[in-house]
Amino acid sequence: MPVDLYYVPGSAPCRAVLLTARALNLNLNLKLVDLHHGEHLKPEYLKINPQHTVPTLVDDGYPIYESRAIITYLVNKYGKGSALYPEDPKARALVDQRLYFDIGTLYQRFGDYFYPQIFGGAPADKDKLAKVEDALKLLDTFLEGQKYVAGANLTVADLSIVAGVSSFEASDIDFKKYANVKRWYETVKSTAPGYQEANEKGLDAFKALVNSLLKK
Amino acid sequence: MDKTVVEKINAANNAAARSKGNRMPTQPIKLYYLPPSPPCRSVMMTARALGIDLELVLTNIMEGQHKTPEYIKMNPQHTIPTMDDNGFILWESRAIMSYFVNAYGRDDSLYPRNPRQRALVDQRLNFDLGTLYKRYMDLYVPMLFKGEAYNDEAAEKLNEALDWLNIMLGGRAFVAGDNLTIADISIVVTLSNLEAFGFDYSAHENVVKWFERTKKTLEPYGYAEIDQGGAHILASFLKKE
Repeated sequence: MPVDLYYVPGSAPCRAVLLTARALNLNLNLKLVDLHHGEHLKPEYLKINPQHTVPTLVDDGYPIYESRAIITYLVNKYGKGSALYPEDPKARALVDQRLYFDIGTLYQRFGDYFYPQIFGGAPADKDKLAKVEDALKLLDTFLEGQKYVAGANLTVADLSIVAGVSSFEASDIDFKKYANVKRWYETVKSTAPGYQEANEKGLDAFKALVNSLLKK
Repeated sequence: MDKTVVEKINAANNAAARSKGNRMPTQPIKLYYLPPSPPCRSVMMTARALGIDLELVLTNIMEGQHKTPEYIKMNPQHTIPTMDDNGFILWESRAIMSYFVNAYGRDDSLYPRNPRQRALVDQRLNFDLGTLYKRYMDLYVPMLFKGEAYNDEAAEKLNEALDWLNIMLGGRAFVAGDNLTIADISIVVTLSNLEAFGFDYSAHENVVKWFERTKKTLEPYGYAEIDQGGAHILASFLKKE
């Protein structure tokens, strides 16, 4: 039963899926999408994802997109009982809240600040940077007195957020000045299974991309 | 909106649910809210659909009631809606709605347990927060709260998101399948706002039909008073030329 992942290595949401699959010991058939040549806009891709984003997972013919829906699906389907996405409603709710914080606040503000610079040649916007810093302060608060973002165990919320926050290293955002964030980052790097292969490799690709875009 | 009326109806729903032997919260769940807030409206309609008793706590963010030391201690992100279920604090409307079904749903129809069906609901919820509702806010927040003019580029991005929603609705009665789910309840509040603001979404035929269908389905759960009423309050903030 093939589980295909359409991805690009630099993309943080794609790396969140890679981290989750690795944590579940799940093999994915990796399919590189040539965004540069518009492969994601072709009819075959639009059929599995009309929003033409990456990542897209196709599980035995069934397509799913939105990274945070993919990673929770992978645990629900292949990791029942795993602490990565606990079944208890309250514990699960905390993970969900962190995931929505990620897509709606933290990663969104990073994208709003950084992507216009690297993809649109726009100058850095101080107000947008302030919003990213506010989000990092919140993350720092969430981590007060706990090892991971949603409690004592590594969850998909950590994997999603670390994929995004690690991308900040390609920018001028100094997230390590927040003590809890810095501590958590080092923890996840050393405890998330296969972190080097699943995230660090792709992060290097993202940094290389950013360097080449900013040189123009 | 009449708080007492809503509370009485909730209490009756809750009693009915209890009589069927369902687990329900020991005390009503506190919901910190404001009537025009779209995500608050979603949570309230979901509670009604599940027969969950809410104790509504008016939190006027326009007067900084979300930034008191007590509120920030409870929710450092100082957003509404925030829920307090007998000491269990939660915010993010879509996390609250998911929690309501997971913890108190009589069945899983509003948020199916089947992994594939659930993934579809989750994708729609993420699309809502990350794309549709975001683009709605990018267009309307400057107009509603900063007196700025209509931005054509922002409107185009919103239309693109509505087009994607239109495609997602192809061949489906509701956004994630044959039945109403929390994804519909999350997304409908944005359409209620667009309708109240006079935004023309008529080109998106599936969206138009789904909107009418969802309104009818949510009628017994307070659509008119909670959602439509809230949207009209928001519409009154739009600068009148």
